[in-house]
Amino acid sequence: MGRIVGGVGSSHAPSFGPVFDKGQQKDPMWAPLFDGYEPVRAWLESLRPDLFIVVYNDHANQFFFNAYPTLALGAAEIYPQADEGWGKRDLPDMPGDPAFSWHLAQSLVDDEFDPTICQEMAVDHGVLSFMPMLTNKRWVPIVPLAVNVIQQPVPTARRLYKLGSALRRAVESYPKDIRVVVMGTGGLSHQLQGPRFGFVNRDWDNEFLDRLEADPEPLTTLSHRDYMERGGTEGIEMINWLPMRSALGPTVKRVARTYHAPMITGYGLLALSPA
Amino acid sequence: MLDEVAGTLVFTGERSRAGYRLNRMAMSLTDAANRAAFVADETGYLRGMGLNDTEIDMVRQRDWKAMIEAGGSIYLLIKIAGALGVPLYAVGAQTAGMTLEQFMSQRKGG
Repeated sequence: MGRIVGGVGSSHAPSFGPVFDKGQQKDPMWAPLFDGYEPVRAWLESLRPDLFIVVYNDHANQFFFNAYPTLALGAAEIYPQADEGWGKRDLPDMPGDPAFSWHLAQSLVDDEFDPTICQEMAVDHGVLSFMPMLTNKRWVPIVPLAVNVIQQPVPTARRLYKLGSALRRAVESYPKDIRVVVMGTGGLSHQLQGPRFGFVNRDWDNEFLDRLEADPEPLTTLSHRDYMERGGTEGIEMINWLPMRSALGPTVKRVARTYHAPMITGYGLLALSPA
Repeated sequence: MLDEVAGTLVFTGERSRAGYRLNRMAMSLTDAANRAAFVADETGYLRGMGLNDTEIDMVRQRDWKAMIEAGGSIYLLIKIAGALGVPLYAVGAQTAGMTLEQFMSQRKGG
């Protein structure tokens, strides 16, 4: 059977992928963040994962509002990079695992989660901004799971927490002995427009990381308004970390944690082992 | 319904309806050939995408705040900005009623 061997929560942003591409990880503005990724990359390598399940959000790149799926599951052989409006980075396409994707689709639907199933799917910075840092561009196959957090109505925090348990059941019911890492990505606090443009809430971001690790249940009862007041309207992306946490089971061991907010985004990185 | 949080407009279904043409035009700019056509003839491109005069004016004026109020999604507006070479910070600052310089100096002070 499949086994979940680790969980990673990470921020994503268009800005820090190109910093890595240019080899500017030691730039004093960015070093505290990039220094945090290196031990997590080494730990991931030691886990010998066969697959990453990545719960993320598209930013109107693969999907548009003509048909915006609430939950979309990748079932493709390869995941090319989306052009987000300013050209592509020099990155190879990411490999997929369609056999596992279809198993996951069946298992999720049996579990009353009903994703749109995508056999062609481009991924944007929601996956690709942090992935090079976690793998040194030695890609591990991914199964992307895109959650709508950009157009209301958006799934509740509780719903996404339940999704993580469904991911675990899917992995453990897979006949092949695969080693899976579950990732959740978004946030942390940031506000991209309006009178609070540039708002970052370090206290809330760190409280979120504390709770996610040790006592995640209270995070599932917060409303979208709660998340947006504390972390900005775009910071609602943080709820995509919840499935990663619940997929790991009730207790976890921390492997690494980093927080850095150099400008208009609170960047977080949390690596957890199932206990 | 979640419509506004701390003075910030939330991207609701109602706003998505209102801003549909504007957002669809912005989505077309994920194609490099469309970006080139847009930059070469902004008004012609916008008219070709079905935008009305008010919407065309907002884009021509780089009035991001007005575009947000008209139902633009920030994730789409930054594609327009990207095509025009306007940095994200300049977009955000304008929606907050500031110039980029004002925003940057405020950040340094804070």
